Amino acid sequence: MKARKVKGLDPEAPLGPNARRLVLVRLDELFSFGPTAVDDEDPEALHDMRIAAKRLRYVLEVTGPCFGEVARMAAKQAKDLQSLLGDIHDCDEMLPRVERHVEDLREADVAAVVRTVAPEGSDLVPEATRAAPNRRSYRGLESLRIYTEARREVLFARFQAEWRRLEEERFRERVEAALA
Amino acid sequence: MARAEEIPGIASDLSFREAAARAIETRSEELFAHSEGVLDTEDIERVHAMRVATRRLRAVLEIFAPCFPSKEHGRVLKAVKRLADALGERRDPDVAIESLEGISAALPKEDRLGVSSLIGELRRVQHAGNEGLALELARVSEEGLHGWLMELADAAHLPDEAAVSDAVEDVALYPGEAVAS
Repeated sequence: MKARKVKGLDPEAPLGPNARRLVLVRLDELFSFGPTAVDDEDPEALHDMRIAAKRLRYVLEVTGPCFGEVARMAAKQAKDLQSLLGDIHDCDEMLPRVERHVEDLREADVAAVVRTVAPEGSDLVPEATRAAPNRRSYRGLESLRIYTEARREVLFARFQAEWRRLEEERFRERVEAALA
Repeated sequence: MARAEEIPGIASDLSFREAAARAIETRSEELFAHSEGVLDTEDIERVHAMRVATRRLRAVLEIFAPCFPSKEHGRVLKAVKRLADALGERRDPDVAIESLEGISAALPKEDRLGVSSLIGELRRVQHAGNEGLALELARVSEEGLHGWLMELADAAHLPDEAAVSDAVEDVALYPGEAVAS
């Protein structure tokens, strides 16, 4: 995701007004992903929101002393949000990784079972499945897949609740007021 | 994970340019302070701390972009991004392995085999990531990234209007993205 350009930054001006421009743009960027990330559960929007939270956090870490306690609170909120979205992202990364691994094991097993057929053989006996080297691995990987899917659901519900709380507590408006 | 160091003297009335110089100096020191022992796969927090320090450095390069000469800024940003990518290639399997080891320990013994085989695969990815990181650290040292960063900080202290850019285009700051500040 390309970061939104911050217009009007002036190297010769004081940090305060420049920092205000930076924080406002990064705050707006974060909240722009709310509808698609929270309501539609769009993985791409969740990823973009995580990057936006990271950008807001780091700009607040640097410029926080210009804005006082609210900036410190906002940086922590952005960090917590980034961390939660990161855990969701880890689940989104893990699931296809497990699928790929299962597919690799399955291919190796099929090849091993096929190799049990004698050169003149035209069919396969059921006992040939015992030649599959990974046959005992699938159960644990299925448990892992179920755990990861379930954890993702739980974390996403937590994220939705957290986002609603930020909206109810008027997080954005409080930060904007502190910058004024 | 290490907390971000406060940047000395940051205040609303400090010039943006001076804040840029101090931010680069502070974040550069943080980065190189975390570089020791990162190739040790038995202590994954080291690479994590250095990766976070790299992100913080990239963030200040983005935030204060208008204060730096564009050519030198672009060169540093690309070098820092390369380093961040190399740290990510090592860190991602670290995180996955740690998570899988925790899950595996909670599973019945007969269910652990499959998870162990996935951990084995990730160990190979981690090893490849570590080799890539070793090469990148050597490159950082050979190119003199630390010196480049100090030159950027000096340039922010001493303005040269003709050389200062007002935008940084087409430079990726985070995986899968490009940024303009």
